[in-house]
Order: sequence, then C-alpha cells, then structure tokens
Amino acid sequence: MTPELPAIHEIWVYLSGSPLLALTLTLGAYECGVLIYERANRHPVANPVAIAVIIVAVTITLIDMPYAKYFEGAQFVHFLLGSATVALAVPIYKGLAALRGRVFPLLLALFAGAATSIVSAVAIARALGADNAIVGGLYAKSVTAPIAMGIAERMHVSPTLTAVFAVTTGILGAVLARYVLDFVGSKAWWQRGFALGVASHGIGTSRAFSVHPEAGTYASIAMGMHGVLGAVLIPILVPYLPL
Amino acid sequence: MIAGIVQILLFQGLGEIIAHFVLTLIPGPVIGLVLLVVWLVVRKSVPATIDLVASALTQNLGLLFVPAATGVVLFLPQLKAHALAVAVSLIVSVVLTIAVPALVLKLIVKEPSGDA
Repeated sequence: MTPELPAIHEIWVYLSGSPLLALTLTLGAYECGVLIYERANRHPVANPVAIAVIIVAVTITLIDMPYAKYFEGAQFVHFLLGSATVALAVPIYKGLAALRGRVFPLLLALFAGAATSIVSAVAIARALGADNAIVGGLYAKSVTAPIAMGIAERMHVSPTLTAVFAVTTGILGAVLARYVLDFVGSKAWWQRGFALGVASHGIGTSRAFSVHPEAGTYASIAMGMHGVLGAVLIPILVPYLPL
Repeated sequence: MIAGIVQILLFQGLGEIIAHFVLTLIPGPVIGLVLLVVWLVVRKSVPATIDLVASALTQNLGLLFVPAATGVVLFLPQLKAHALAVAVSLIVSVVLTIAVPALVLKLIVKEPSGDA
C-alpha cells in the first residue's frame, strides 16, 4: 500500500507544475457556468463568467494554489483576449451597413453615456470613501473587458480590478436594462440595444442579441465604438476631470 | 481555419508594433481592430476563414475573461473594506449609463411612430 502514496504525490506535483491543471480548471469551470446558464433559461443573473470565476477562485483557495501560479498556466487563455479584441472587427464591420444616417445621434449618445459612466462611478465611489486603487479600477468599467484592461495598463491602474468591475458592470447592466429602458420610455429596439451596449459592453450585447437581433447589432456597434473611442480618449481626458 | 488565425495574429502583431512605436496611448489590439475594419471595408467582404475564427472567439469571449477576473481573490480584503462604495457606485452608474444614451436617442431622433 505504502508505495502508492509517493506515486500519487508525484502526479500531483507534476500536475500543479504544468499548465494542464490551470487550463483544465479554467475551461471546465466555464463549461459549468455555461451549463448552469442554459439550465436557468439564460437568466442574466446566472452569468457564466461570474460562475466560472467563483468556481476557479474557490478551487485554487482550497488546493492552496497562489493566484500567480494559476495565472502562469491560464495565461494561454488570457493571451487570446488580444486576438478576440482584433476579431471584434468582424461584427463591427457587419454592423456598419445598419448605421445609415444614424452616425451623429449615435456618437452623441455614446459620448453622453461614456461621460456619465466615468463621472457617476468615480464621484459616488469617492463620496463613499473608496481609495485611489478602487477608483482607478472604475475608469474603464463600461468598456469591453479586453480593451478596458489595456486602458488600465496605460493608465497605471490595476487591470485586474478593472476586469472585475467591467464584468460586474456587464452583468448588472444585462439584469437591470429592461427596467431602466422601460422607465425612461425607450421603445425602438435599436435605441434600447445601443444604450445597453454603451453601458454593458460584451455581456450586455449578448443579452441584447437574446432579446432582439436589431438590439444586438446596435449593442455590438455601441460596444465597438465605446471600445475604440474609450481607448483613445479615456487616458487623455480622465486626468482633466474635476474628480 | 489556420489561415484565419494567422491573419488575425498578423493584425494583432501589426497593432502591437504601431502601439509600441507610434501610438503609445492606444492598446495594440485596438489598433489591430481598427486596421482589420479598414481592410474589410476596402475589400468589401469578410474572408470565410477570418469569419470562422472571429465568431469562435467572440462567441466564447466570456471564457477569456476568467483568468484575469479570478484575480479578484487578490483584492478581496480591499473590496470588503469598500464594499458599500463599490456596490452603490457600480449599480447607480450602470443605471445612469443605460438611461442617458437611451434618453439622448429618444429626444433627438424623430422616428415615425410604429417603428418601435
């Protein structure tokens, strides 16, 4: 019996030393998240990203794996965020035809929404006593996560906190959008979708697609415009905000 | 499939090079995105291989956030200390950020009723 114990131990040492464990954990947790989301009839609260993060965080805590060690293996998944950002060009290109004569109102709505996002989040967090690290994570929270993390790196604030706030914002927007849009009396699908895309980027966009295709197209255009203009303007303008 | 991956990686790499040497304020992948949109507009269609890879990536976008977002474990004490500020700020801000663009569009676009 005793000779088997070192063997198991050796396998464990090998597994936790290679990217295999972190990659399997990441993909497995996300698959669980997707299954639960499907089971819950795609209810926005059962967000697959949130479920996967909870599963991974609990697991690495239980097996006593430092986050840095986990990330060493999971970085192969993380790397693809950059490629996925480039790939957003395809839905944006396909949505361009739908813009027709609406470019000006859409740009105006985007700028109003983007400014509202930063100013309201930072002002409220500051008023309630949050420190600079937390506030820094809020700047790009309404920008799609891969771009938001790039913006955070350029602004020397935490990309991780930014990602956490961006994902949380996406989920909150997807859950609350219907009530907010009904309350302000927004009726046209393209307007409802665009507003959701400005506030809640990718997660809001997938929610919009599941409600109505026109809402989804305009949400993805909003997400793309907010991402590109945000990447250019947020690092330049934020230092000038009276916050 | 492989051709699509290679082309997306090339645009990503080109974006990184430009971000490093010319436009240092913009993340490389965003420059890659803009270049790819311009290229698609010029050639007036999406090559099937790029379309395949792009839809695989964008449909599973959520998965790609997991490693970074799990970094929340590093910030748990800080987030707990500021839980109220973070929660109120995120919720109120997202409600306003949905409401403002919706109101702007509703007020400045005159659509014939029935289009809703």
